[in-house]
Amino acid sequence: MQKEIKHTFYFTQNPKEIWDYLTKPELMELWLMPSDFQPVPGHHFRFTNPNNSFVVCEVLEVKPFTDLSYVWKNDWAVTKTPYTSKVSWTLTPIEGGTELLLIHSGFEMFKDLTAHNNGWMFLCNKLGSLLKEPAK
Amino acid sequence: MQQIREPFKRTCKMTTHSLDAFQVIADQSRRQMLMMLSKDSMTINAIAENFDMSRPAVSKHVKILYNAGFISITDIGRERHCVLNQDGFDELQNFINYFDKFWANKLGKLQSLLNNKLKN
Repeated sequence: MQKEIKHTFYFTQNPKEIWDYLTKPELMELWLMPSDFQPVPGHHFRFTNPNNSFVVCEVLEVKPFTDLSYVWKNDWAVTKTPYTSKVSWTLTPIEGGTELLLIHSGFEMFKDLTAHNNGWMFLCNKLGSLLKEPAK
Repeated sequence: MQQIREPFKRTCKMTTHSLDAFQVIADQSRRQMLMMLSKDSMTINAIAENFDMSRPAVSKHVKILYNAGFISITDIGRERHCVLNQDGFDELQNFINYFDKFWANKLGKLQSLLNNKLKN
């Protein structure tokens, strides 16, 4: 089972310019969602989904032009299906521009469950052999 | 005789409105049950021995896991054996896939935004 989401994108702009699009609400809104983000660790903020629900966030790490991460969870006050996760951005200057790496990970509630993907075949076989055993 | 049965229709009085995969695993006890079952199939009695809760409470959790497709239950003799089932986990995978597409879409948007900026 896939445990995290990874995307790498390349831009011809320098990291500083990309950084602005990750950290300035008026620019973030153009491609992501409206928010009251501030690049300050510990800052609580929310993205507003098109359906007016919120993504509830807290800034974790800010290393200007290099690293940005925040908690990404749904609105536990209203949802019946709470989850939490982490979004990390890493900017790396490369020749002719910037490499932008996104990792969306740490879906905490089932982190422990995803480690056991390989057990299923074994368990299915086990069930099969259990079913073949004569009933006591 | 063994049979796959519809479990607990009469034995469990507590209502368990169908919960989705996330509600199901939001509960610590149920996560623990799945962890235990990921190592081996277990009877409900064997599961109950690992928890400091009443047998009906354990049955309720087992029923929730069953209803959401995380486990299947087989009667072997007098025992009910619980075994992990893929369906519940698939729903979690769908959730991750949703965000995978979400970000691919948003980043594509950012990319065309910045590409257009270059032209102007």
